[in-house]
Amino acid sequence: MSANREAAVLGWGLCLQGFPSATAWRAGEPVEPFKPSGALIERRSRRRCSLFTRAIADAYGEALAASGFDGSLVATVFGSALGEVGTMIRLLDTMWRGTDPMSPMAFAMSVHNAASGVVSISSGNRGFTTSIGADYDTPAMALHEAFGLLGGGFEAVMVTCGDEGVLTDLVPAGTEWSLTCGALALAPVELAPDAPRMARPVLGARRPEEAHRADLSPAGARNPCAGIVDVIDALAAGWSGPVVLDRGAGAGWTAAVTAADAR
Amino acid sequence: MKTGTSIPITGVSACNGLGLDRGAVRDGLWHGRTGLRPTSLVPFEAHVGEVVGPLPDLPPSLIDRTTRSAQMVGHLIATLEGPLGRMRARWRPERIAVILGTSTAGADRTEVAWRTLVDRGHLPMDYDLWHHHTYGAVLHIVRALTGAKGPGWMHSTACTSSARCLASARRLIADDVIDAAIVGGVDTLCAMTLNGFASLDALDPHRCRPFSAERSGINIGEGGALLLLERDGDPLALLEGIGETSDAYHISAPHPKGDGAIAAMRAALLDAGVGPEAVHHINAHGTGTRHNDAAESRAIEAVFGAEVPVVSTKGYTGHTLGGAGATEVAIALHALHEGWIPASLGATPVDETIPINVVTARTSGRFERVLSNSFAFGGNNISVLLRAP
Repeated sequence: MSANREAAVLGWGLCLQGFPSATAWRAGEPVEPFKPSGALIERRSRRRCSLFTRAIADAYGEALAASGFDGSLVATVFGSALGEVGTMIRLLDTMWRGTDPMSPMAFAMSVHNAASGVVSISSGNRGFTTSIGADYDTPAMALHEAFGLLGGGFEAVMVTCGDEGVLTDLVPAGTEWSLTCGALALAPVELAPDAPRMARPVLGARRPEEAHRADLSPAGARNPCAGIVDVIDALAAGWSGPVVLDRGAGAGWTAAVTAADAR
Repeated sequence: MKTGTSIPITGVSACNGLGLDRGAVRDGLWHGRTGLRPTSLVPFEAHVGEVVGPLPDLPPSLIDRTTRSAQMVGHLIATLEGPLGRMRARWRPERIAVILGTSTAGADRTEVAWRTLVDRGHLPMDYDLWHHHTYGAVLHIVRALTGAKGPGWMHSTACTSSARCLASARRLIADDVIDAAIVGGVDTLCAMTLNGFASLDALDPHRCRPFSAERSGINIGEGGALLLLERDGDPLALLEGIGETSDAYHISAPHPKGDGAIAAMRAALLDAGVGPEAVHHINAHGTGTRHNDAAESRAIEAVFGAEVPVVSTKGYTGHTLGGAGATEVAIALHALHEGWIPASLGATPVDETIPINVVTARTSGRFERVLSNSFAFGGNNISVLLRAP
């Protein structure tokens, strides 16, 4: 199949509450204390980054390292339903409580594409980067953008999706979610014919019973980007079959993954 | 990237500080009339480009999702009725995408809600994060009002957001995922944005003056534009080339030599398969800050030389942030269609260190190809090349 219908998956990474990497997630033992490092981000910028941006960068860094891609050349798609909402709320608190002047750096880092920007700066990447949001369909739409880039001729595309643990004031009690970020390194299948694959998302059966699901905590499963974890968990388990890219509140976009040894 | 894939733009609507529809915007540009006015939104001196006039209520089924952004896109859809109807008659709903851009999404509503929390200890009873704040909230409105059922997402790359939609839609059409797309974007005024740019010392308290020797910052505006892209159709213009790059330099400052901007403009030309001599006009990002205008003008000179006519329209509309890219593509269509470009309002006296041809009076001519630039926080750059049909 052509690059715009199926992609080779050359690496993946995770950073979710208690699990700072895909390796830790597969091991099944939460790491305490859990603190995303943001190691990929250059030191001066790292101090200014939110926990969320550090977590996104950690997932991205793990997938990038596994893929062997050159971080200065890869195209990057970042997806998040709410982006830097925690930073924005801190700005609003500053503004309405009138306690301190607004921080220019905090304002600059409140944009949805903060992670996209700092990863680009830290990697010396002068190429394509974007940042998208689509509520619970964010992982599916980020993958659509990535497949579009592969179809357009890019040979290495990173897709990184996640949302920070939502502030309890913003949503009704009992519906909060925890930090969840995941990343995939994609390439045209022709360049990596032996790698696991995933297909472009399609709107199919709403909840196919055979779809793979990761064993997420209830709070993790409520994260708008939980679907990216389901994809990564399926790939890491060597599983083949459909994965639904949302956990119930999206449109039901589904992507098929194929293990390397299933062909 | 593939080259030579031209996509027809078959419809356009716009609203901003100049007016509620594309005709009013055109009149403002034609007559050199600014849409920038003093604001009381913040406790310091500032000018903004506010959309003045009533925005229609959403239909009853969507009324609980009312935000200014939602009303604005509802209004833009209503003024696109003719071409949108033709699009819907031609393509299946599942083959029509909705790809928009915004910087603030529903931040204006959340801003007010958070003030209630600070004052009273709780959010307003009718506030709903998913209906009023998120990127998907506006997507839902557009889907509900148009019937589009294809892929849909919001780009949020600050001031390049609504320009990026054109690139994404073109890729989806090229990959045969969709046949048509509703693209564009909006942003609305909010105190947080004004305070934020003030904290960066980037606001001009008076009317902004892009490319002027006397420029001292930006004015924030609200508004946006919607555009229809179709696989084929009767075009207002052709989307011919796009360049998307990053500065990899600083989160909120442009590369001083405009390296990322140069790369974006060259990529757009390469994508279209044309040389710089083929471009007859540039709608610059032209925000009015010392650094942005200096860097962008150097970048334009490096790619196109000093003669191509350049205009910033932010002296009319203010900087509509996430809505700016689509707004300025919509404005560029006047040059392609009607053969005139507006004056770069406020530019006189042009900064002598600006090494490009800043147009200070409305100019008629043959503008077959127009480039529109948008640059953003994060070092995010996009150049969009349009051609007359």
